[in-house]
Amino acid sequence: MSLRVDLVEGGRIALRTLGVNRLRTALTLSAVGIGVATLLAIVGIIQGLNGAFNRQLASLGTATLNIARHPYVVSGDWWKYRNRKQLTLAQMHFLAQHSQLATAVVPEVNEDGRDLTALDQSVSAVDLVGTLADFQKIWGYEVPQGRFLTDADSDAERQVMVIGFDVASQLFPGRNPLGQSIRLDNRPYRVVGVLAKKGQILGQSMDLIALIPFNTFLAVYGKRDFQIDVAVDDADQLDRLEDEVTGIMRRARSVLPGQPDDFSVNRTQQLADTYRQLTGALYGVALGVGLITLLVGGIGIMNIMLVSVRERTREIGIRRALGARRRTIVVQFLLEASLVSAVGGAIGTALGLGAAKVVSLVTSLAAAVQPLTVLGGILFAAAVGLVFGIWPAARAAKLDPVEALRYE
Amino acid sequence: MLIKLEDIRRYYTVGSEVVHALNGVSFQLSKGEWVAIIGQSGSGKSTLMNVVGCLDTPTAGRYWLNGSDVSRMSDNELADIRNREIGFIFQTFQLLPRETALGNVELPLIYRGLRARERRERARNALDQVGLSNRVTHRPNELSGGQRQRVAIARALVTEPSLLLADEPTGNLDSATGQEIIGLFEQLHGAGHTICLVTHEPTLAARCPRAIRISDGLIVNDGPGPQVALETRPERARAAAT
Repeated sequence: MSLRVDLVEGGRIALRTLGVNRLRTALTLSAVGIGVATLLAIVGIIQGLNGAFNRQLASLGTATLNIARHPYVVSGDWWKYRNRKQLTLAQMHFLAQHSQLATAVVPEVNEDGRDLTALDQSVSAVDLVGTLADFQKIWGYEVPQGRFLTDADSDAERQVMVIGFDVASQLFPGRNPLGQSIRLDNRPYRVVGVLAKKGQILGQSMDLIALIPFNTFLAVYGKRDFQIDVAVDDADQLDRLEDEVTGIMRRARSVLPGQPDDFSVNRTQQLADTYRQLTGALYGVALGVGLITLLVGGIGIMNIMLVSVRERTREIGIRRALGARRRTIVVQFLLEASLVSAVGGAIGTALGLGAAKVVSLVTSLAAAVQPLTVLGGILFAAAVGLVFGIWPAARAAKLDPVEALRYE
Repeated sequence: MLIKLEDIRRYYTVGSEVVHALNGVSFQLSKGEWVAIIGQSGSGKSTLMNVVGCLDTPTAGRYWLNGSDVSRMSDNELADIRNREIGFIFQTFQLLPRETALGNVELPLIYRGLRARERRERARNALDQVGLSNRVTHRPNELSGGQRQRVAIARALVTEPSLLLADEPTGNLDSATGQEIIGLFEQLHGAGHTICLVTHEPTLAARCPRAIRISDGLIVNDGPGPQVALETRPERARAAAT
């Protein structure tokens, strides 16, 4: 007899059996369903997180290098980086003159956690940046209201400020911020531009930011340790740019051959790597929990199938006497197990999608489930049923027809 | 010769003991014959029926069914032989409770790989043959014992097997219904079917043209039904014969 007949007949029997033992079917369904739902919700949240992170990372500018005394992510020896000599403006100009690949070189100096006030409103924990006009080009800032900083602002040490979206909305709710005055460390600044909303990275707002001209920053806060941002046309050229920039900076800072660099060349890619390290373990644990839930569901299926085989021993005997091969019996029970699981998987998928949706509504995480994941969830559940159905199905097929017919 | 058994032995191991269920059984059966296999419980007649029905394989000996040596066949080949050559009729009917009469009769044809339309047609014909054409959509629990056994007989007939193998077919029926079923067997025998009927009832065996008596795993008598049935239970056999 052909496998096609086995499959068609097995499927028919499986469908009918599911309808007969409704309570048992429901219990088995829920076992698998919960497993799949858990797994899918976790996958959805992970996919959402990753998607959001990648979008944010892309918005940071992918064709950009950052040169600083220390790397983006400091692990271990902080003192090694602290004792490095500061970067100087002369070094930056040297770099700008000698680099062939760089399309923009701009200094950046930062002060964290500033308080800003305007009239009766205030906002705290604002990142203050002192920089030049090219900063906009390098990091891809959009300025829908007003203008960005100019190099002339810096040359004249003007007290002007470009503010992030959150700063604008908190200081000037319902009002036009342009031309308004903001106080920062007892100095007034005039708002000349408002940045477009950038959103969050790793739960931190990118819109709590205020930018002032580079020289204004130096004049107000004294000589500070600054970083240099370098842009290139195409992200593919980053490796070459890094080689070139490293060579030029070593010359500018008189690093002897054989000595290690006394500066760090950073990429946004490093943030992504760190992100993966931080979250990878978490995902592993979460997926493990989901898989264990599914394993429990699978054992539930195996249990139910064993009961079902025992209950239908006589039926198996009858079928064998009438000409069913062992394979026919195996296929029948495997189909039954995977069908229950697939239906459970479908229900679980719906629950999981719902859970992911709730998560994305309640929290700021954009939990997203890709269509392929849905199909994967159902197929995976069916596969679980198949795997955990093997033993019961084998037991059913191994039954001696004579014994099975005599079974009460 | 439809059936030829040659020194068939079947030993079981129960715990540390070896049970000799069949101790060298040889007999032949021609097409169109109707034979009763008679013996008390424990005589080995059930084991013999299982071997003849290809549900069990002998420990030793040869068994030819319709020209092929089934004593050396694999499990899959035996399944196909059961489907093609044997029509089983059991004491407890052995119907699938969730299937209709038609569904039950169709079952062996499914395993033969026939298409649904042909299966249904042949199953209806078989039910017609046993006088159940008005019970096609009934489930076993909606049928009387006699009707159930008729469904089982229809299921055995539907594959047009070379041998009908009946194991105590009247054992679960009242005597009147049992008579009807035996009447049906007589009809089938008249139509040319080969029937092997296993029973412990001498009255039943006495109605068969031929009977084989089994005792302790050996054939102790093989002859005309009334004569073999008469031998051990003279008074009852005589009553049945007259």
